[in-house]
Amino acid sequence: MADEYKPPALPAPFNNTRPAPELLTQGAEAHLYKTVSLDPSIPAALKVRPSKPYRHPILDRRLTRQRIIQEARCLSKLVREGVSVPAVLALDWEGQGGDEAGWGGAWLMMEWINGPVVRVVLEQWEAWMKKNASSLDAAQLEQENSRVRDLLRRIGKTLGGLHKAGVVHGDLTTSNLMLRLPTEGTESETSPTGVSMQGEVVLIDFGLASQSAQDEDRAVDLYVLERAIGSTHPRSEPFMEELVHGYRESHRGAVSTLKRLEDVRMRGRKRSMIG
Amino acid sequence: MIAIGMEGSANKIGVGIMSHPKDGSPPQVLANIRHTYVSPPGEGFLPKDTARHHRAWVVNLVKRALKEAKVSVEDVDCICFTQGPGMGAPLQAVAIAARMLSLLWGKALVGVNHCVGHIEMGRLITGATNPVVLYVSGGNTQVIAYSSQRYRIFGETLDIAVGNCLDRFARTLHISNDPAPGYNIEQLAKQGKQLVDLPYVVKGMDVSFSGILAAIDGLAAAYGLGGSEKAREDAQASGKVQDPDNKPTRADLCFSLQETVYSMLVEITERAMAHVGSKQVLIVGGVGSNERLQEMMGIMARDRGGSVYATDERFCIDNGIMIAQAGMLAYQTGFRTPLKESSCTQRFRTDEVFVKWRED
Amino acid sequence: MASQLERLDILHLPESLSVYVALYRDVQNAAFLRQQLLSGNKEFEYAFIDASMVLSRAHATAAIFRAINDYTNDRLKSHNVHSEIVFSLNPANNIADSFRKFGIADSTKDLLVVKVSVSPEITYDSVATHLETSVQGNSVSFDDETLSEISDVPRIKKVFKLGALPSPGDKTNGTQNTNAKRQLELSLLGAIALRGS
Repeated sequence: MADEYKPPALPAPFNNTRPAPELLTQGAEAHLYKTVSLDPSIPAALKVRPSKPYRHPILDRRLTRQRIIQEARCLSKLVREGVSVPAVLALDWEGQGGDEAGWGGAWLMMEWINGPVVRVVLEQWEAWMKKNASSLDAAQLEQENSRVRDLLRRIGKTLGGLHKAGVVHGDLTTSNLMLRLPTEGTESETSPTGVSMQGEVVLIDFGLASQSAQDEDRAVDLYVLERAIGSTHPRSEPFMEELVHGYRESHRGAVSTLKRLEDVRMRGRKRSMIG
Repeated sequence: MIAIGMEGSANKIGVGIMSHPKDGSPPQVLANIRHTYVSPPGEGFLPKDTARHHRAWVVNLVKRALKEAKVSVEDVDCICFTQGPGMGAPLQAVAIAARMLSLLWGKALVGVNHCVGHIEMGRLITGATNPVVLYVSGGNTQVIAYSSQRYRIFGETLDIAVGNCLDRFARTLHISNDPAPGYNIEQLAKQGKQLVDLPYVVKGMDVSFSGILAAIDGLAAAYGLGGSEKAREDAQASGKVQDPDNKPTRADLCFSLQETVYSMLVEITERAMAHVGSKQVLIVGGVGSNERLQEMMGIMARDRGGSVYATDERFCIDNGIMIAQAGMLAYQTGFRTPLKESSCTQRFRTDEVFVKWRED
Repeated sequence: MASQLERLDILHLPESLSVYVALYRDVQNAAFLRQQLLSGNKEFEYAFIDASMVLSRAHATAAIFRAINDYTNDRLKSHNVHSEIVFSLNPANNIADSFRKFGIADSTKDLLVVKVSVSPEITYDSVATHLETSVQGNSVSFDDETLSEISDVPRIKKVFKLGALPSPGDKTNGTQNTNAKRQLELSLLGAIALRGS
């Protein structure tokens, strides 16, 4: 068998960075690091798209460049439109360095979002409820359910803002939604579960995002998230209507998108296979 | 236990005989024979002609396979056949033969999903235990991973199959369909150097090829590279003509098409591997015999600390053995296809099959 | 008056490259400084920036970083890393236009000066000494509070075509004001990063 996987060397200038950026996740397309921003006292996220040696070099540069620019453009546009996403701090679509001199991939430095991923929040909440829900009285139970409903409504509203700004995410899951921790001084909510659902909903990972105002693309965005919630958070799924509700109230175009969503639900996203 | 597998979902009819020894030792291929319907350059294979070809050959192939395997009819436990997906008429031609043999010899009938056949054969031959599977052929393009008794489709083509894209471009260039259009494109591509810009369409884990085909057909037309006349020049100059104006050659187009579509396939495979956390890739289906695709996949897998498993053309390209293998696995769990449920279907998704023979 | 020259800490740059910044108010000899630039006087190879076009430290730092990254990767669009810093402040791809909008003018009163140590003889002391004798103005601290008194926000918004954004108005309006400024700043950073894409 092959050797242990080693991530490729960081592109310049991050081979200089002191201390070295810390690798957080390695997806198929990109590696995500935590580092500092241009201000040493503020953290930043660094996304590196290393070159893919299996591809023809011309094709590789073209794709890597297109994609990192597309991602940065979407983020930058959303920041201007006031949608909560990590802002672009710096970018290089033809990064140098890497394993060999020359082309080493592209990188994007982004604002660091301090807070948990919604997937983890819901997983923790569901795990607690599974174990302890029977110990809650009716009022407490209602209180818990309404916290999840509120979270889903806020998610729906944020997605509405995203779509209104003319961007579709392309890969919506609860792993790509975060809750930005409230600044100090905010009164924290109390729940027997110990799981906070406070904080501004922030959308992350725009690696598959594109600019589109078409109902079909928007509806598929919602459908993909709906499916993801259904498969990973069964206890939260019954509250999906709250997400739709929050979305509907967010902008005028929502009505026709939601109508399209019904069609997408009916047919699913996949075609049937012809031999 | 012994199974006969009969495959005829596209332009190849294959009959294979497989033995699963009772002592649990590894399964053995007793016979694996095939006959291909080859259409003239510039033409694809039509369902009715292909079905006629299969009808003409099926009896001959079954007889030869039994003889080669040195087994008698009494030794056979079940008749496995491709129930879909595929082209309707050819599927039916072979299914009728399978039903007839089942009734004639009093043997159980086992309908097999063609894609599952490829996967099970690939697993058997390569020893890959739980790979992400890239299934690429003239009719299918899917990225598949096993989970809770289904082969789940993580990504697939949104329009035509990758093999279909290659075959149709071979027709544009009037490249020979013997032994296979994709094989001849691969040979011509080896002389290509210049990469022309083509659309590159990956959406998440899905791909689309129709736009690429339209674009490269357009380039062939714009540079006057299509048609039988140019194909003859190719043959005479053995593709070595270099255009002085740096215009792309036929070889360049084949090269560019391969580089583009195979990059797309490797990309979605890598995405599926990252998603399910697997380090093995298995390539199956006719296009899987392409050496450039195997090479690219190998580089990707190596960079992820994994490895690629591929089979040669005996098992990659449609064959009867794979149907016997997948059919036998199902048969051993008690699966049977009653006569009245033995009709074939052109649409038969990989994830419809309940994979009872694998652990959860 | 003693210069408040600052060594800017950007942890991603090679240690051999230091960035020195100084902010001046009430500059008296802008025309002279500009003339030195125009005549190509090597002694005066600085980024001389009209500080009213700088929103914040982060804004200036983003342009400095972009310019140095392009410099180390050998793809400067202008003469040297210092002119590139002025160019990088501009969201558009036009060098002459960048100097008109962000560079020093004869009438400039608030001046941001940047120097990158592209050769070993450029040190904190050498820069401090030279600036002290060359710039006639009040050296002030390069911080957001000072910049907020200097920045011409409506003009910055106009140049960046960000007129639709809420304005960070007067200081009485607490959080809303902070948020507006933050959104404007982040929008500038995105535009600087994406220039030429």
